[in-house]
Amino acid sequence: MIRFDNVTKSYKGLAPALEGISLEINKGEFVFLVGSSGSGKTTFLKLLLREAVPDSGSIWVAGRDIGELSHWRVPYLRRNLGCVFQDFRLLPNKTVTENVAFALEVIGRPRNVIRTQVSQVLELVGLGQKGDRMPHELSGGEQQRVAVARAFVNRPLVILADEPTGNLDPATSQGIMKLLDRINRTGTTVVMATHDVGIVDTMRRRVIELDRGKLVRDQARGVYGYGTDMTTSTRGVPAVAMAGQADLAMDLDPATGRVAAVRARRGQR
Amino acid sequence: MAVSFEYVAKETATNLWRNRMMALAAILTVAVSLSLVGTALLLRQAVNRQIGEWNNNVSLQIFMDASATTQQIANVRSTIGQTPQITHCSYLDHGQSYAQAKRLLASSPTAIEALTPATTPTVFRCQLRNPAEASTVSATFNSGVPGVYQATSPSQSIRVMQQVTNVLQIVLLVIAIVLLVSSLVLILNAIRMAIFARRREVGVMKLVGATNWFIRVPFMLEGLVQGLLGAIVAALIVLLSNFGVSYLIRHYKVSVLGSAVLPTHDIVVTELLVVLIGLVVGVAGSSVAVRRFLDV
Repeated sequence: MIRFDNVTKSYKGLAPALEGISLEINKGEFVFLVGSSGSGKTTFLKLLLREAVPDSGSIWVAGRDIGELSHWRVPYLRRNLGCVFQDFRLLPNKTVTENVAFALEVIGRPRNVIRTQVSQVLELVGLGQKGDRMPHELSGGEQQRVAVARAFVNRPLVILADEPTGNLDPATSQGIMKLLDRINRTGTTVVMATHDVGIVDTMRRRVIELDRGKLVRDQARGVYGYGTDMTTSTRGVPAVAMAGQADLAMDLDPATGRVAAVRARRGQR
Repeated sequence: MAVSFEYVAKETATNLWRNRMMALAAILTVAVSLSLVGTALLLRQAVNRQIGEWNNNVSLQIFMDASATTQQIANVRSTIGQTPQITHCSYLDHGQSYAQAKRLLASSPTAIEALTPATTPTVFRCQLRNPAEASTVSATFNSGVPGVYQATSPSQSIRVMQQVTNVLQIVLLVIAIVLLVSSLVLILNAIRMAIFARRREVGVMKLVGATNWFIRVPFMLEGLVQGLLGAIVAALIVLLSNFGVSYLIRHYKVSVLGSAVLPTHDIVVTELLVVLIGLVVGVAGSSVAVRRFLDV
């Protein structure tokens, strides 16, 4: 579904935002993208949306090298990617229904299709009764549900979420996560950048950790931090990866991003 | 690309209304500049027609001395016959010449009183093969041919008038071009503000995969509408002022300017040109704005 091939991206005059990233995300996976601010999470998502182009390496989405995509085809790429942001990005002068419908109107869907799909997706996110409300009349959690509905209404292959719970309290965040999980169960790939330790630790899904632009951990059913698996206290080097629940830890070579060593873990978290 | 007409029309109307003061400024500037363009174009056509008319009627007048002898008149007549540039001449004797003078000088009775048929010079009114040769031909008759008082080609006096109108046209056109450029900038700015006012929508559109043209078209159409409205106002102003001038010429029977009343065909062509320029200005302004400020 998504493949990064040795992708490097740097902004003018700065250290690389992403460096030598290679990974693959399969259809239907739920992936957490973790790392401190400035670690390259947002750049990762931007590259997927082709809001930015990598300096080197290639990115494949749904069997297409998106670096090869001509300018006018980019919108068609984005129709396969639904986006959710920390700040919701709803249109304040449109009702909930209009906000969700807008996503379909502007890609030229016929009106009867829009009507049925919008009401379906509003049911799915639990806002079936609030279609006529304006965004400012809703709570933060409800607004984020509208944003998720808008991202999902066109049935994209992938949902990209950039800290979708960043503005929400833990209980509300739980609701959003349940929603994303439900969407994931329909076969939609979800890639979520987050700082929320609690969420990552309870969901136990694949965790990709970036540190200063480098891939330092790619772990199935992982947790947010290094936990007790840290072999050294030096941040990120050597990085540790866990293969699921197995009692094994893998050292990644920071230069190549490949597994350098596999050893027994020192204990359960 | 499915850009529904209804959607585009709705978006454009909303944008124009939200940005109405800016749009009004742009529309009025387009209207003023295009009125000047239209006026300059019509003025040029009227002057050209009127001058052409005068040139065709008479290219050269040879005034004889009032006391010129029959022999001298006959000599001049034969000289005219030998001048290849002259195609045709008619001779006005004292009586005819006096009648013509009375008609031309109708507005100043004192001048007529000073004339009698006998003191009015006789005139050869000639047509030239090419009106541009008038000055060379008149020069040959002005070089001391006995009995000739003066040979005048209307183009000598007309040339002054032509120069005046030329300068006037250039001034009008320069002002019009400056105003056109400023209306282009105003439209550009109006569209820029519209883009800024709708940056959230544009951001969401990009995110959900609206095509570039889908995002651009409403803004470009907004510029086009502003240019078009300004042009329509200008076309009306030009039309009304043309009617006004034509009415004055007819009402006061200024027959010398009879040909300055333009035929409908010329007016229609000028009006269409004005509207076309308005459309081009609108589209150009909004295209530049969309390219510079709407990074899709």
